[in-house]
Amino acid sequence: MGPWGFVGLAYGIVWGAIVIYLFSLKRRYQDAQTELARVESREAITSHVKT
Amino acid sequence: MAAQAPVKKKRKGILGALALAAIVVGLYWSLVVAPPDAYQGEVQRIMYLHLPSILTAYLSYFLVFIGSGMYLWKREKRDDILAHSAAEIGVLFTALTIIEGSIWGRTTWGVWWTWDARLTLTAILLLIYVGYLMLRSLIEDEDRAAVAGAVLGIIGFLDIPLIHMSVYWWRTLHQPPSILRPDKAPWENVHPTMLTALVISFIGFLLLYFYLLSLRYGLGETRAQIRARRLEQES
Amino acid sequence: MELLRQTSLLLRKDLLLEWRRRDSLLTMFFFGALLLFVFHFSFDIEPDRVAAMTPALLWLSFLFTGTLGLTQIFQPERENHCLDALLMSPLDRGAFFLAKSGFNLLLMIVVEIVVIPLFWILFNLPSWNLLPQLFLVNLLGTTGFCVLGTIMSAITLRARARELLLPLVLFPLMIPVILATIRCMENIMRVGALGDAVPWLRLLIGFDVIFLTVGVLIFDWVIES
Repeated sequence: MGPWGFVGLAYGIVWGAIVIYLFSLKRRYQDAQTELARVESREAITSHVKT
Repeated sequence: MAAQAPVKKKRKGILGALALAAIVVGLYWSLVVAPPDAYQGEVQRIMYLHLPSILTAYLSYFLVFIGSGMYLWKREKRDDILAHSAAEIGVLFTALTIIEGSIWGRTTWGVWWTWDARLTLTAILLLIYVGYLMLRSLIEDEDRAAVAGAVLGIIGFLDIPLIHMSVYWWRTLHQPPSILRPDKAPWENVHPTMLTALVISFIGFLLLYFYLLSLRYGLGETRAQIRARRLEQES
Repeated sequence: MELLRQTSLLLRKDLLLEWRRRDSLLTMFFFGALLLFVFHFSFDIEPDRVAAMTPALLWLSFLFTGTLGLTQIFQPERENHCLDALLMSPLDRGAFFLAKSGFNLLLMIVVEIVVIPLFWILFNLPSWNLLPQLFLVNLLGTTGFCVLGTIMSAITLRARARELLLPLVLFPLMIPVILATIRCMENIMRVGALGDAVPWLRLLIGFDVIFLTVGVLIFDWVIES
Protein backbone atom coordinates (compact mmCIF):
# COMPACT_ATOMS: atom_id res chain seq x y z
CA MET A 1 0.00 0.00 0.00
CA GLY A 2 1.45 3.33 -1.00
CA PRO A 3 1.76 6.31 1.33
CA TRP A 4 -1.54 7.82 0.19
CA GLY A 5 -3.13 4.45 0.82
CA PHE A 6 -2.15 4.58 4.46
CA VAL A 7 -3.25 8.18 4.75
CA GLY A 8 -6.57 7.21 3.21
CA LEU A 9 -6.86 4.28 5.58
CA ALA A 10 -6.27 6.46 8.63
CA TYR A 11 -8.56 9.28 7.55
CA GLY A 12 -11.17 6.82 6.35
CA ILE A 13 -11.31 4.88 9.61
CA VAL A 14 -11.39 8.01 11.73
CA TRP A 15 -14.11 9.85 9.88
CA GLY A 16 -16.04 6.67 9.23
CA ALA A 17 -16.06 5.86 12.93
CA ILE A 18 -17.11 9.38 13.85
CA VAL A 19 -19.99 9.31 11.37
CA ILE A 20 -21.12 5.93 12.68
CA TYR A 21 -20.97 7.19 16.25
CA LEU A 22 -22.95 10.27 15.25
CA PHE A 23 -25.70 8.15 13.76
CA SER A 24 -25.62 5.84 16.78
CA LEU A 25 -26.10 8.85 19.06
CA LYS A 26 -28.99 10.17 17.02
CA ARG A 27 -30.72 6.82 16.97
CA ARG A 28 -30.28 6.28 20.70
CA TYR A 29 -31.62 9.77 21.30
CA GLN A 30 -34.70 9.10 19.16
CA ASP A 31 -35.32 5.85 21.01
CA ALA A 32 -35.00 7.61 24.34
CA GLN A 33 -37.35 10.41 23.29
CA THR A 34 -39.93 7.87 22.18
CA GLU A 35 -39.60 6.08 25.48
CA LEU A 36 -39.96 9.36 27.38
CA ALA A 37 -43.11 10.25 25.47
CA ARG A 38 -44.51 6.83 26.22
CA VAL A 39 -43.77 7.14 29.93
CA GLU A 40 -45.17 10.66 30.08
CA SER A 41 -48.38 9.71 28.27
CA ARG A 42 -48.88 6.82 30.66
CA GLU A 43 -48.54 9.30 33.49
CA ALA A 44 -51.11 11.59 31.86
CA ILE A 45 -53.54 8.72 31.47
CA THR A 46 -53.21 7.47 35.03
CA SER A 47 -53.53 10.97 36.52
CA HIS A 48 -56.55 11.54 34.33
CA VAL A 49 -58.07 8.34 35.60
CA LYS A 50 -57.47 9.35 39.20
CA THR A 51 -59.35 12.65 38.88
CA MET B 1 -39.37 21.47 29.22
CA ALA B 2 -40.86 21.22 25.72
CA ALA B 3 -40.29 24.90 25.07
CA GLN B 4 -36.53 24.61 25.57
CA ALA B 5 -36.12 21.82 23.07
CA PRO B 6 -36.28 23.83 19.79
CA VAL B 7 -33.77 26.42 21.05
CA LYS B 8 -31.37 23.76 22.23
CA LYS B 9 -31.75 21.88 19.01
CA LYS B 10 -31.01 25.00 17.00
CA ARG B 11 -27.88 25.75 19.02
CA LYS B 12 -26.68 22.20 18.60
CA GLY B 13 -27.37 22.43 14.89
CA ILE B 14 -25.27 25.57 14.57
CA LEU B 15 -22.45 23.96 16.50
CA GLY B 16 -22.63 20.96 14.24
CA ALA B 17 -22.56 23.09 11.12
CA LEU B 18 -19.57 25.06 12.39
CA ALA B 19 -17.79 21.85 13.23
CA LEU B 20 -18.43 20.47 9.79
CA ALA B 21 -17.14 23.65 8.14
CA ALA B 22 -13.96 23.66 10.22
CA ILE B 23 -13.42 19.97 9.53
CA VAL B 24 -13.80 20.38 5.78
CA VAL B 25 -11.42 23.34 5.72
CA GLY B 26 -9.04 21.40 7.93
CA LEU B 27 -9.15 18.41 5.60
CA TYR B 28 -8.36 20.61 2.67
CA TRP B 29 -5.37 22.15 4.44
CA SER B 30 -4.16 18.81 5.78
CA LEU B 31 -4.41 16.87 2.57
CA VAL B 32 -3.86 19.46 -0.15
CA VAL B 33 -2.28 22.68 1.04
CA ALA B 34 0.27 21.42 3.54
CA PRO B 35 3.36 19.99 1.89
CA PRO B 36 4.56 16.45 2.53
CA ASP B 37 7.11 16.06 5.26
CA ALA B 38 10.77 16.19 4.24
CA TYR B 39 11.55 12.89 5.99
CA GLN B 40 8.31 10.93 6.15
CA GLY B 41 6.57 12.01 2.99
CA GLU B 42 2.81 11.95 2.68
CA VAL B 43 2.16 9.67 5.65
CA GLN B 44 3.11 12.46 7.99
CA ARG B 45 -0.34 13.89 7.24
CA ILE B 46 -1.72 11.42 9.75
CA MET B 47 -0.40 13.82 12.35
CA TYR B 48 -3.25 16.21 11.53
CA LEU B 49 -5.58 13.53 12.86
CA HIS B 50 -3.39 12.14 15.57
CA LEU B 51 -2.51 15.22 17.56
CA PRO B 52 -6.01 16.74 17.63
CA SER B 53 -7.64 13.44 18.56
CA ILE B 54 -5.36 12.69 21.50
CA LEU B 55 -5.62 16.27 22.78
CA THR B 56 -9.40 16.09 22.54
CA ALA B 57 -9.33 12.80 24.43
CA TYR B 58 -7.31 14.42 27.22
CA LEU B 59 -9.78 17.28 27.36
CA SER B 60 -12.56 14.77 27.62
CA TYR B 61 -10.94 12.97 30.54
CA PHE B 62 -10.43 16.28 32.26
CA LEU B 63 -14.16 16.89 31.90
CA VAL B 64 -14.81 13.44 33.38
CA PHE B 65 -12.67 14.50 36.33
CA ILE B 66 -14.49 17.80 36.79
CA GLY B 67 -17.91 16.22 36.37
CA SER B 68 -17.03 13.44 38.80
CA GLY B 69 -15.74 15.86 41.41
CA MET B 70 -18.76 18.13 41.11
CA TYR B 71 -21.12 15.18 41.31
CA LEU B 72 -19.56 13.82 44.49
CA TRP B 73 -19.72 17.28 45.97
CA LYS B 74 -23.12 18.59 44.91
CA ARG B 75 -24.91 15.44 43.74
CA GLU B 76 -26.53 17.18 40.80
CA LYS B 77 -27.47 14.72 38.07
CA ARG B 78 -26.22 17.02 35.32
CA ASP B 79 -22.61 16.66 36.49
CA ASP B 80 -22.90 12.92 36.36
CA ILE B 81 -24.37 13.06 32.86
CA LEU B 82 -21.45 15.25 31.82
CA ALA B 83 -18.91 12.82 33.24
CA HIS B 84 -20.51 9.79 31.64
CA SER B 85 -20.86 11.51 28.26
CA ALA B 86 -17.31 12.80 28.31
CA ALA B 87 -16.01 9.32 29.17
CA GLU B 88 -17.85 7.70 26.29
CA ILE B 89 -16.61 10.20 23.71
CA GLY B 90 -13.15 10.16 25.26
CA VAL B 91 -12.98 6.41 24.73
CA LEU B 92 -13.98 6.88 21.09
CA PHE B 93 -11.26 9.45 20.45
CA THR B 94 -8.66 7.43 22.36
CA ALA B 95 -9.42 4.34 20.32
CA LEU B 96 -9.12 6.39 17.14
CA THR B 97 -5.82 7.81 18.36
CA ILE B 98 -4.45 4.32 18.85
CA ILE B 99 -5.57 3.26 15.38
CA GLU B 100 -4.01 6.36 13.82
CA GLY B 101 -0.82 5.84 15.82
CA SER B 102 -0.69 2.23 14.76
CA ILE B 103 -1.08 3.05 11.07
CA TRP B 104 1.50 5.82 11.35
CA GLY B 105 3.87 3.45 13.09
CA ARG B 106 3.34 0.86 10.38
CA THR B 107 4.48 3.35 7.76
CA THR B 108 7.46 4.74 9.65
CA TRP B 109 8.70 1.73 11.59
CA GLY B 110 7.22 -1.12 9.60
CA VAL B 111 5.30 -2.58 12.54
CA TRP B 112 1.63 -2.23 13.53
CA TRP B 113 2.47 -2.03 17.21
CA THR B 114 5.38 -1.11 19.36
CA TRP B 115 5.61 -0.68 23.09
CA ASP B 116 6.94 2.83 22.93
CA ALA B 117 5.81 5.32 25.52
CA ARG B 118 3.16 7.15 23.49
CA LEU B 119 1.27 4.14 22.18
CA THR B 120 1.51 2.31 25.50
CA LEU B 121 0.21 5.30 27.41
CA THR B 122 -2.70 5.75 25.03
CA ALA B 123 -3.56 2.09 25.38
CA ILE B 124 -3.54 2.36 29.18
CA LEU B 125 -5.77 5.42 28.97
CA LEU B 126 -8.19 3.44 26.86
CA LEU B 127 -8.21 0.60 29.38
CA ILE B 128 -8.93 2.93 32.28
CA TYR B 129 -11.92 4.60 30.71
CA VAL B 130 -13.30 1.48 29.12
CA GLY B 131 -13.19 0.18 32.68
CA TYR B 132 -15.15 3.27 33.71
CA LEU B 133 -17.85 2.58 31.14
CA MET B 134 -18.02 -1.10 32.10
CA LEU B 135 -18.23 -0.23 35.78
CA ARG B 136 -21.20 2.02 35.16
CA SER B 137 -23.02 -0.45 32.99
CA LEU B 138 -22.52 -3.34 35.41
CA ILE B 139 -24.02 -1.62 38.44
CA GLU B 140 -27.79 -1.95 38.47
CA ASP B 141 -28.72 1.02 40.59
CA GLU B 142 -28.25 4.22 38.64
CA ASP B 143 -27.28 6.34 41.65
CA ARG B 144 -24.72 3.84 42.91
CA ALA B 145 -23.32 3.59 39.43
CA ALA B 146 -22.96 7.35 39.33
CA VAL B 147 -21.06 7.44 42.63
CA ALA B 148 -18.84 4.53 41.62
CA GLY B 149 -18.11 6.17 38.30
CA ALA B 150 -17.34 9.47 39.96
CA VAL B 151 -14.79 7.89 42.30
CA LEU B 152 -13.11 6.09 39.41
CA GLY B 153 -13.25 9.25 37.32
CA ILE B 154 -11.34 11.16 39.98
CA ILE B 155 -8.82 8.47 40.86
CA GLY B 156 -8.19 7.58 37.25
CA PHE B 157 -7.39 11.15 36.34
CA LEU B 158 -5.13 11.63 39.36
CA ASP B 159 -3.24 8.50 38.42
CA ILE B 160 -2.58 9.65 34.84
CA PRO B 161 0.51 11.78 35.62
CA LEU B 162 1.97 8.90 37.65
CA ILE B 163 1.31 6.45 34.84
CA HIS B 164 2.78 8.92 32.38
CA MET B 165 5.97 9.27 34.40
CA SER B 166 6.43 5.59 35.03
CA VAL B 167 5.87 4.53 31.42
CA TYR B 168 8.18 7.22 30.07
CA TRP B 169 10.98 6.33 32.48
CA TRP B 170 10.52 2.69 31.66
CA ARG B 171 10.81 3.26 27.93
CA THR B 172 13.42 5.99 27.77
CA LEU B 173 15.87 4.33 30.09
CA HIS B 174 16.28 1.40 27.76
CA GLN B 175 15.64 2.70 24.28
CA PRO B 176 18.41 4.21 22.22
CA PRO B 177 17.59 7.87 21.48
CA SER B 178 18.15 7.45 17.78
CA ILE B 179 14.74 5.87 17.19
CA LEU B 180 12.57 8.35 15.40
CA ARG B 181 9.10 8.80 16.78
CA PRO B 182 6.39 10.32 14.65
CA ASP B 183 5.55 12.86 17.33
CA LYS B 184 9.16 13.89 17.67
CA ALA B 185 9.62 14.73 14.02
CA PRO B 186 12.30 17.39 13.55
CA TRP B 187 10.48 20.67 13.90
CA GLU B 188 13.18 22.89 12.46
CA ASN B 189 11.82 22.13 9.01
CA VAL B 190 8.22 22.95 9.81
CA HIS B 191 6.45 24.66 7.01
CA PRO B 192 4.08 27.37 8.27
CA THR B 193 1.19 25.80 6.35
CA MET B 194 1.68 22.61 8.35
CA LEU B 195 1.13 24.53 11.53
CA THR B 196 -1.97 26.15 10.06
CA ALA B 197 -3.30 22.77 8.97
CA LEU B 198 -2.73 21.46 12.48
CA VAL B 199 -4.50 24.39 14.11
CA ILE B 200 -7.48 24.26 11.76
CA SER B 201 -7.78 20.49 12.20
CA PHE B 202 -7.62 20.94 15.94
CA ILE B 203 -10.35 23.56 15.89
CA GLY B 204 -12.46 21.25 13.76
CA PHE B 205 -11.96 18.38 16.20
CA LEU B 206 -12.73 20.60 19.16
CA LEU B 207 -15.98 21.84 17.67
CA LEU B 208 -16.90 18.31 16.67
CA TYR B 209 -16.15 17.13 20.17
CA PHE B 210 -18.45 19.66 21.77
CA TYR B 211 -21.13 18.87 19.22
CA LEU B 212 -20.93 15.14 20.02
CA LEU B 213 -20.81 15.95 23.71
CA SER B 214 -23.95 18.05 23.49
CA LEU B 215 -25.76 15.23 21.70
CA ARG B 216 -24.60 12.60 24.15
CA TYR B 217 -25.51 14.90 27.04
CA GLY B 218 -29.01 15.28 25.63
CA LEU B 219 -29.29 11.51 25.52
CA GLY B 220 -28.21 11.29 29.14
CA GLU B 221 -30.69 13.98 30.13
CA THR B 222 -33.55 12.18 28.39
CA ARG B 223 -32.66 8.93 30.12
CA ALA B 224 -32.58 10.69 33.47
CA GLN B 225 -36.01 12.15 32.78
CA ILE B 226 -37.37 8.72 31.91
CA ARG B 227 -36.02 7.35 35.13
CA ALA B 228 -37.43 10.24 37.15
CA ARG B 229 -40.89 9.77 35.61
CA ARG B 230 -40.81 6.05 36.27
CA LEU B 231 -39.85 6.59 39.90
CA GLU B 232 -42.70 9.09 40.29
CA GLN B 233 -45.18 6.67 38.84
CA GLU B 234 -44.13 3.86 41.08
CA SER B 235 -44.65 5.94 44.21
CA MET C 1 -5.55 10.86 67.10
CA GLU C 2 -9.16 9.87 66.87
CA LEU C 3 -8.79 8.57 63.33
CA LEU C 4 -6.02 6.19 64.29
CA ARG C 5 -7.87 4.99 67.36
CA GLN C 6 -10.95 4.12 65.35
CA THR C 7 -8.78 2.52 62.69
CA SER C 8 -7.07 0.25 65.17
CA LEU C 9 -10.44 -0.70 66.66
CA LEU C 10 -11.82 -1.77 63.31
CA LEU C 11 -8.55 -3.42 62.35
CA ARG C 12 -8.52 -5.50 65.52
CA LYS C 13 -12.05 -6.66 64.80
CA ASP C 14 -11.11 -7.85 61.31
CA LEU C 15 -7.92 -9.50 62.51
CA LEU C 16 -9.84 -11.30 65.24
CA LEU C 17 -12.38 -12.58 62.73
CA GLU C 18 -9.66 -13.72 60.40
CA TRP C 19 -7.65 -15.36 63.15
CA ARG C 20 -10.62 -17.46 64.16
CA ARG C 21 -11.24 -18.90 60.72
CA ARG C 22 -8.14 -18.03 58.69
CA ASP C 23 -10.14 -18.42 55.47
CA SER C 24 -8.68 -15.62 53.46
CA LEU C 25 -5.16 -16.05 54.69
CA LEU C 26 -4.88 -19.73 53.88
CA THR C 27 -6.55 -19.42 50.51
CA MET C 28 -4.31 -16.53 49.54
CA PHE C 29 -1.20 -18.32 50.67
CA PHE C 30 -1.91 -21.53 48.82
CA PHE C 31 -3.00 -19.66 45.73
CA GLY C 32 0.21 -17.63 45.74
CA ALA C 33 2.33 -20.77 46.10
CA LEU C 34 0.31 -22.55 43.44
CA LEU C 35 0.96 -19.74 40.98
CA LEU C 36 4.69 -20.19 41.45
CA PHE C 37 4.33 -23.79 40.37
CA VAL C 38 2.21 -22.82 37.39
CA PHE C 39 4.77 -20.21 36.38
CA HIS C 40 7.55 -22.75 36.54
CA PHE C 41 5.72 -25.07 34.17
CA SER C 42 4.57 -22.28 31.88
CA PHE C 43 7.79 -20.37 31.56
CA ASP C 44 10.19 -23.30 31.77
CA ILE C 45 12.49 -21.17 33.82
CA GLU C 46 16.14 -21.95 33.39
CA PRO C 47 18.50 -21.49 36.33
CA ASP C 48 20.48 -18.72 34.69
CA ARG C 49 17.37 -16.70 33.97
CA VAL C 50 15.63 -17.10 37.29
CA ALA C 51 17.18 -14.13 39.06
CA ALA C 52 16.20 -11.80 36.23
CA MET C 53 12.61 -13.03 36.18
CA THR C 54 12.12 -13.21 39.94
CA PRO C 55 10.62 -9.74 40.55
CA ALA C 56 8.12 -10.13 37.72
CA LEU C 57 7.09 -13.63 38.72
CA LEU C 58 6.68 -12.68 42.34
CA TRP C 59 4.60 -9.66 41.49
CA LEU C 60 2.36 -11.53 39.08
CA SER C 61 1.73 -13.96 41.87
CA PHE C 62 1.06 -11.20 44.39
CA LEU C 63 -1.24 -9.29 42.06
CA PHE C 64 -3.53 -12.24 41.54
CA THR C 65 -3.34 -13.35 45.13
CA GLY C 66 -4.01 -9.83 46.33
CA THR C 67 -6.98 -9.45 44.03
CA LEU C 68 -8.37 -12.63 45.54
CA GLY C 69 -8.06 -11.05 48.97
CA LEU C 70 -9.63 -7.81 47.80
CA THR C 71 -12.79 -9.48 46.59
CA GLN C 72 -13.24 -10.92 50.09
CA ILE C 73 -12.48 -7.77 51.95
CA PHE C 74 -16.00 -6.54 52.57
CA GLN C 75 -17.51 -9.97 52.93
CA PRO C 76 -17.88 -9.82 56.74
CA GLU C 77 -19.78 -6.55 56.45
CA ARG C 78 -22.12 -7.78 53.78
CA GLU C 79 -23.53 -10.44 56.01
CA ASN C 80 -26.25 -9.57 58.52
CA HIS C 81 -26.43 -5.94 57.44
CA CYS C 82 -23.23 -5.17 59.30
CA LEU C 83 -22.38 -2.57 56.71
CA ASP C 84 -25.51 -0.59 57.44
CA ALA C 85 -24.79 -0.77 61.15
CA LEU C 86 -21.26 0.46 60.61
CA LEU C 87 -22.42 3.31 58.42
CA MET C 88 -24.99 4.42 60.95
CA SER C 89 -22.40 4.49 63.70
CA PRO C 90 -20.40 7.70 64.25
CA LEU C 91 -17.25 6.03 63.02
CA ASP C 92 -15.17 8.06 60.60
CA ARG C 93 -15.36 6.50 57.12
CA GLY C 94 -11.71 7.30 56.69
CA ALA C 95 -10.95 5.01 59.62
CA PHE C 96 -12.99 2.29 57.93
CA PHE C 97 -10.89 2.72 54.81
CA LEU C 98 -7.59 2.63 56.70
CA ALA C 99 -8.67 -0.43 58.65
CA LYS C 100 -9.72 -2.35 55.54
CA SER C 101 -6.59 -1.44 53.59
CA GLY C 102 -4.48 -2.19 56.61
CA PHE C 103 -6.14 -5.53 57.06
CA ASN C 104 -5.55 -6.54 53.46
CA LEU C 105 -1.99 -5.25 53.71
CA LEU C 106 -1.32 -7.38 56.78
CA LEU C 107 -2.72 -10.46 55.06
CA MET C 108 -0.54 -9.84 52.05
CA ILE C 109 2.54 -9.24 54.16
CA VAL C 110 2.05 -12.57 55.87
CA VAL C 111 1.63 -14.25 52.50
CA GLU C 112 4.72 -12.51 51.12
CA ILE C 113 6.84 -13.40 54.13
CA VAL C 114 6.17 -17.05 53.36
CA VAL C 115 6.04 -17.00 49.56
CA ILE C 116 9.24 -15.04 48.95
CA PRO C 117 11.53 -17.41 50.86
CA LEU C 118 9.59 -20.29 49.31
CA PHE C 119 10.46 -18.86 45.91
CA TRP C 120 14.11 -18.69 46.92
CA ILE C 121 14.01 -22.34 47.94
CA LEU C 122 12.11 -23.60 44.91
CA PHE C 123 14.32 -21.83 42.41
CA ASN C 124 17.60 -22.26 44.27
CA LEU C 125 18.45 -18.61 44.53
CA PRO C 126 21.60 -17.89 46.53
CA SER C 127 20.98 -14.25 47.36
CA TRP C 128 19.30 -14.66 50.76
CA ASN C 129 21.04 -11.57 52.06
CA LEU C 130 18.99 -9.38 49.74
CA LEU C 131 15.67 -10.42 51.23
CA PRO C 132 15.33 -7.57 53.77
CA GLN C 133 15.73 -4.93 51.08
CA LEU C 134 13.37 -6.79 48.80
CA PHE C 135 10.78 -7.09 51.55
CA LEU C 136 10.90 -3.36 52.13
CA VAL C 137 10.35 -2.55 48.48
CA ASN C 138 7.60 -5.12 48.33
CA LEU C 139 5.97 -3.57 51.36
CA LEU C 140 5.75 -0.22 49.61
CA GLY C 141 4.38 -1.77 46.47
CA THR C 142 1.88 -3.88 48.35
CA THR C 143 0.72 -0.80 50.26
CA GLY C 144 -0.07 0.94 47.00
CA PHE C 145 -1.93 -2.14 45.84
CA CYS C 146 -3.97 -2.46 49.02
CA VAL C 147 -4.83 1.22 49.20
CA LEU C 148 -6.07 1.53 45.64
CA GLY C 149 -7.50 -1.96 45.70
CA THR C 150 -9.64 -1.26 48.75
CA ILE C 151 -11.19 1.76 47.06
CA MET C 152 -11.86 -0.22 43.90
CA SER C 153 -13.23 -3.13 45.88
CA ALA C 154 -15.64 -0.80 47.63
CA ILE C 155 -16.97 0.82 44.48
CA THR C 156 -17.44 -2.50 42.68
CA LEU C 157 -19.21 -4.00 45.67
CA ARG C 158 -22.64 -4.10 44.03
CA ALA C 159 -21.59 -4.66 40.45
CA ARG C 160 -22.36 -7.71 38.39
CA ALA C 161 -19.37 -9.79 37.35
CA ARG C 162 -17.56 -8.20 40.28
CA GLU C 163 -14.65 -10.66 40.34
CA LEU C 164 -13.82 -9.72 36.76
CA LEU C 165 -14.60 -6.04 37.04
CA LEU C 166 -12.33 -5.44 40.03
CA PRO C 167 -9.08 -6.42 38.28
CA LEU C 168 -10.27 -4.70 35.11
CA VAL C 169 -10.53 -1.31 36.80
CA LEU C 170 -7.67 -1.84 39.24
CA PHE C 171 -4.80 -3.16 37.12
CA PRO C 172 -4.36 -0.25 34.69
CA LEU C 173 -4.24 2.14 37.64
CA MET C 174 -1.62 -0.08 39.29
CA ILE C 175 0.88 0.25 36.48
CA PRO C 176 3.09 2.84 38.22
CA VAL C 177 3.33 0.57 41.27
CA ILE C 178 4.08 -2.51 39.20
CA LEU C 179 6.76 -0.77 37.16
CA ALA C 180 8.35 0.96 40.14
CA THR C 181 8.40 -2.07 42.43
CA ILE C 182 9.76 -4.43 39.83
CA ARG C 183 12.45 -1.99 38.65
CA CYS C 184 13.61 -1.49 42.25
CA MET C 185 13.64 -5.22 42.88
CA GLU C 186 15.55 -5.84 39.66
CA ASN C 187 18.27 -3.44 40.68
CA ILE C 188 18.52 -4.96 44.15
CA MET C 189 18.86 -8.43 42.70
CA ARG C 190 21.35 -7.36 40.07
CA VAL C 191 23.68 -5.10 42.03
CA GLY C 192 22.63 -5.57 45.65
CA ALA C 193 21.34 -2.03 46.12
CA LEU C 194 18.80 0.35 44.63
CA GLY C 195 21.36 2.24 42.61
CA ASP C 196 19.75 4.26 39.84
CA ALA C 197 16.31 2.96 40.80
CA VAL C 198 15.95 5.60 43.51
CA PRO C 199 13.59 7.74 41.39
CA TRP C 200 11.37 4.69 41.10
CA LEU C 201 11.30 4.39 44.86
CA ARG C 202 10.28 8.02 45.16
CA LEU C 203 7.51 7.47 42.64
CA LEU C 204 6.32 4.48 44.64
CA ILE C 205 6.27 6.39 47.91
CA GLY C 206 4.53 9.28 46.20
CA PHE C 207 1.88 6.95 44.85
CA ASP C 208 1.26 5.46 48.28
CA VAL C 209 0.98 8.84 49.97
CA ILE C 210 -1.30 10.32 47.32
CA PHE C 211 -3.80 7.51 47.22
CA LEU C 212 -3.74 6.91 50.94
CA THR C 213 -4.79 10.54 51.37
CA VAL C 214 -7.34 10.39 48.56
CA GLY C 215 -8.76 7.19 50.01
CA VAL C 216 -9.24 8.64 53.47
CA LEU C 217 -10.89 11.77 52.08
CA ILE C 218 -13.06 10.10 49.50
CA PHE C 219 -14.24 7.03 51.36
CA ASP C 220 -17.21 8.89 52.80
CA TRP C 221 -18.78 8.88 49.39
CA VAL C 222 -17.49 5.51 48.26
CA ILE C 223 -19.06 3.34 50.89
CA GLU C 224 -22.50 4.82 51.34
CA SER C 225 -23.71 2.26 48.87
